[in-house]
Amino acid sequence: MVQLNLPKNSEVKKGKYFKDKTGSKNLRKINVYRWDPSTEDNPRIDTYEVDMDNCPSKVLDILNKIKNEIDPTLAYRRSCAHGVCGSCAMNMGGKNGLACTTPHSEIDGDIDIYPLPHLKVKRDLIGDLDGLYKQYQSIEPWLKNNSKKETTEIYQSQEDRAKLDGAYECIMCACCSTSCPSYWWNGDKYLGPAVLLQAYRWIVDSRDEERKARLKKVADELKLYRCHTILNCTNACPKGLNPAKAIAEIKKMLATANV
Amino acid sequence: MESKRPLSPHIQIYRWHISSLVSISHRITGIINIIAITFVCVWASWLVLGEPKYDLINLFLNSFLGKFVAIGLAWSFSFQILSEIRHLIMDMGHGYELKTTRITGLMVIFGSLILTILFYLIGKNFF
Repeated sequence: MVQLNLPKNSEVKKGKYFKDKTGSKNLRKINVYRWDPSTEDNPRIDTYEVDMDNCPSKVLDILNKIKNEIDPTLAYRRSCAHGVCGSCAMNMGGKNGLACTTPHSEIDGDIDIYPLPHLKVKRDLIGDLDGLYKQYQSIEPWLKNNSKKETTEIYQSQEDRAKLDGAYECIMCACCSTSCPSYWWNGDKYLGPAVLLQAYRWIVDSRDEERKARLKKVADELKLYRCHTILNCTNACPKGLNPAKAIAEIKKMLATANV
Repeated sequence: MESKRPLSPHIQIYRWHISSLVSISHRITGIINIIAITFVCVWASWLVLGEPKYDLINLFLNSFLGKFVAIGLAWSFSFQILSEIRHLIMDMGHGYELKTTRITGLMVIFGSLILTILFYLIGKNFF
């Protein structure tokens, strides 16, 4: 059922205000979602004044600056800082993206930073993605080929290989799935754009022999057809991929093929 | 532990895009249109009941509220038709590039307004 309001324990309260101590003239207010699992308190928004004269260009740099210089209790995931690992996916200025590839100059006014939407929060900006990983596992994202021995190479033409472009680059950062209203309301059943893009990636792989079984598996009112082409996924993808188109292609295959 | 964890904000904080706006409007106008068609059917069957019922509906449609409803429905039907055409094209697998979705979305929004004005002028015997 569509639940537009947040549950009582999730309502966001006003938090602490960290005034600038550097005396810089070039300040920016950063509003960050905070929640501490060791207390019974509701989540809160802490506001930090950050000296932008000594801050590199990305939102992750701001968070690092806050953690290193202002408030070490802030928790967030990050690893590679180059848009490869997908750890620092979060909601910045109302849009999902990777903090390490999102320039703060692209966001107007105060910068609001939230965890990825509609997830159970573990702490501060860290959301629980277990459900998404389970769904990813459910599409069996590995090559299934029984006719070839494990030691023989499976050839693939350049044209067939090209079909995987735009699908294999996905880093599973979950920006798309957590931007999707359909996934918010039916995340327990609907697979969501990230997982469906990967389902597509294995369906179109010429080396895979389970194409029909894979199609049959996703051909479900809730698993697949909850996509209503809202296109928040494609808008959010930090790698410039197009999950919405992949989902449309799966629907097309199901409509035209005998499955 | 599990139940204690708060749910992160979603629709409260997520920025609207043209595509999401058109999508939700498509749903809302769809519901409005279903209700509207039902009323049009009731209206049509009332005609069988004679002139007094006809006058009653006429009175309503000529009131300010009636005109608002009529023009509103002209818009919601226009929007639904254009948006549905967009959906049909997308169902065939075309127009998923970000720029294209923005352009077609804007075409639906402005096209529906233009169509509404056209319907209004046709209703006024302008042409």
